[in-house]
Amino acid sequence: MITVDRLVKRRGSKEILAGISFRARPGRVTGFLGPNGAGKSSTLRILLGLDRATSGTALIHSVPFARLRDPLATVGAVLDGSGAHRARTGRAHLRWVARSAGLPRTRVDEVLEIVGLTDAASKRVGGYSLGMGRRLALATALLADPEILILDEPVNGLDPDGIRWIRTFLRERAASGRTVLLSSHLMGELAETVDDVVVVDGGRVVANGTLEEVTGAYRTLEDAFFALTTGGAP
Amino acid sequence: MRALAAEVSKLASLPAAWIAAAAGVLVPGVIAAITASSALGAITRGAGTTAGIDTGYQELAFGVVGAIILGVVAMSSEYFTDSAESGGGRQITTSLTAVPSRLRLLLAKTAAVAIASALLAVAASAVTMSVIRVVLGEHAPALGTGDVPRLAGVVCYWVYTALLAFGVTVLTRHGVVPLAVFVVNTSVVTVTYLLTKITPLANYLPDMAGVRMFIRELDVGTAGIGPLAGCLVMTGWVAALLVIAVVAFTRRDA
Repeated sequence: MITVDRLVKRRGSKEILAGISFRARPGRVTGFLGPNGAGKSSTLRILLGLDRATSGTALIHSVPFARLRDPLATVGAVLDGSGAHRARTGRAHLRWVARSAGLPRTRVDEVLEIVGLTDAASKRVGGYSLGMGRRLALATALLADPEILILDEPVNGLDPDGIRWIRTFLRERAASGRTVLLSSHLMGELAETVDDVVVVDGGRVVANGTLEEVTGAYRTLEDAFFALTTGGAP
Repeated sequence: MRALAAEVSKLASLPAAWIAAAAGVLVPGVIAAITASSALGAITRGAGTTAGIDTGYQELAFGVVGAIILGVVAMSSEYFTDSAESGGGRQITTSLTAVPSRLRLLLAKTAAVAIASALLAVAASAVTMSVIRVVLGEHAPALGTGDVPRLAGVVCYWVYTALLAFGVTVLTRHGVVPLAVFVVNTSVVTVTYLLTKITPLANYLPDMAGVRMFIRELDVGTAGIGPLAGCLVMTGWVAALLVIAVVAFTRRDA
């Protein structure tokens, strides 16, 4: 369970988050939607302890991420790009992450297989395409088979096959009782994947509920999104 | 310990760290070969009888550039930002999601840098002293028990210098400036050395104090700083910088 409560983040005089509150529940895929600059990445970075909130809390199983006893087995995170240094091979990157959690080397080959990077594992990350980098980031997140997955714009850079694959994959994770929280500014890609929707705009939550509730009277989630956010303004 | 194992694994799989290792062994080794051959020429011409007391140690004072590169890249690699086409990611986000305690992450990294630079110093010392022995033969200054504390001083100086470069890079989050400043000061223009001409206080700067752990004949004189005092002064600098680095690293946004 992810609980975000009245999260505020200011940088100088700029208010990036103006009191974000929502939950992501086990067994469901929660979509965190909003136009670019709405505060999606800032919220996820605070949730993962990378940035500090000005006020409010973002908790995982009722504790801040930094206090989790076994962080990798609790939360797998996919943020910008590959999250790996370009001079390392994909396998070397996964190996150091596995070491940090005391995981066996065989697990590295397993996650490479899951995301379909086995053939590129010995190549340097600098030679990866954007989509391959995203797959490596997902492999890293999956190393300790975490209960919770947090993904920032996971479909960015993936080809149509990759997008279809990740949709199925995330649905399966939720079906097995795990929690999935993903952010996106692409509504069309998400309508078929998410159960719950949190729409943010300008650092505020403008809609929060099940897919049906948020879509409401609109024809599609995309129509609802544009009606709810400034993204629809010409 | 897992965090340390991860940091050691990171360093070992980083090509720049191996460039640092190559520089650390080759720079003093090659300079030693050159200076020893010219010393041998002088001895055979009858211009001198033996090589100086600091033969080998002077070269190792320069070779510390390897430790500097190691200290810098250990941290700058975390903050290297991928091109926008590759998603603009940085490794630090992965590091902090794997080891969320910033203090633990930084201590593990500090330990990994210290271990790697100590090993590098031992290898560089062995190579440098061997080169001098091979080139000078019977004219080489004999290595005795007096060299044990001096060689320990070399290792200490390399570890401390690597940690200084590392600590500054934690603050800058970028490798170019610390790399340029530290390498230039060590090799091209030793600003800290020039400062000793202006004020005797400059003898208490970390590198000027630290080299006294193993260099016996500095042309600026002893300035009242012996090997042990030099070690203590440099220890103070390293400790202070690492405390500042920890405070900055634990407080700011990644």
